[in-house]
Amino acid sequence: MIPESHFLMLGAALFSIGVFGVFTRRNAIGILMSIELILNAANINLITFSKFSASPDGLGQIFALFVIAIAAASAVVGLCLVISIYRNSKTILVNKINLMKW
Amino acid sequence: MNGLIQLLNSHGIPQDFVIKAAFYFIATLTLVFALFVVLSRHIFRAAVYLAVVLTCIACVYLFLDAEFLAVVQVLIYVGAIVVLFIFTVMLTADIDSGTFAGTLRRMSVAAVASLAIFFILFKVINMVTAWKTAVPAGVSINLSQLGKSLMTGYALPFEVISLVSLAALVGALVIGKAEKR
Repeated sequence: MIPESHFLMLGAALFSIGVFGVFTRRNAIGILMSIELILNAANINLITFSKFSASPDGLGQIFALFVIAIAAASAVVGLCLVISIYRNSKTILVNKINLMKW
Repeated sequence: MNGLIQLLNSHGIPQDFVIKAAFYFIATLTLVFALFVVLSRHIFRAAVYLAVVLTCIACVYLFLDAEFLAVVQVLIYVGAIVVLFIFTVMLTADIDSGTFAGTLRRMSVAAVASLAIFFILFKVINMVTAWKTAVPAGVSINLSQLGKSLMTGYALPFEVISLVSLAALVGALVIGKAEKR
């Protein structure tokens, strides 16, 4: 079967791509998408450990469920903030938003 | 997964090879489309590519015997979150202009940083050759077991997460509400 390290590699690569996206995107929606990629990489790792290590009650899968719930909540609030910012300052480029900069 | 293995066995196809080939194909697809999500010039296309990535990750969950999570992934992520992203892209104008990262210098710095992170993770994963396994590998956790432990041992986190969802709902309503003029 497929070794566990290959699943972990997939998670690591996805995490790095997400970090790259957070660094380079100027669009606030793009940054939120990259954060979703990072959270999914974490989920892959959690479920891999749930399958391959000692977790008699499926602890990793339960954690992954919680991560999905938190990700949904954060996406809702984040996108709502993006819409609110767009309504006020007519831009969603993060380098143009300087409302809270002194 | 078990049904697939039985199907392959009944036709005399080497199941190990097929499953491996399918996994590496899906893993490659995931990474390629994740790169598209990060590098795409149009933010709307990035949202569509994100849907593809999330569906591929649901397929990866199937390889890990987490069928319920695969269904949840498709329902919550592809069904709800990506639609939310697309709505937001539609509601905020100038979706085509200025969405890309821009300067080459910043891109290269970010590439170096993320490659360094990947290299560190790669080294750590390779350092550990065998993970300790108490349960024999391949034992799948069925749905009723998952539900039982969610309602008994992890009942408190479950209730807390429902409060978090409620707070997010109310917060989104408050923030998104149009101000009276």
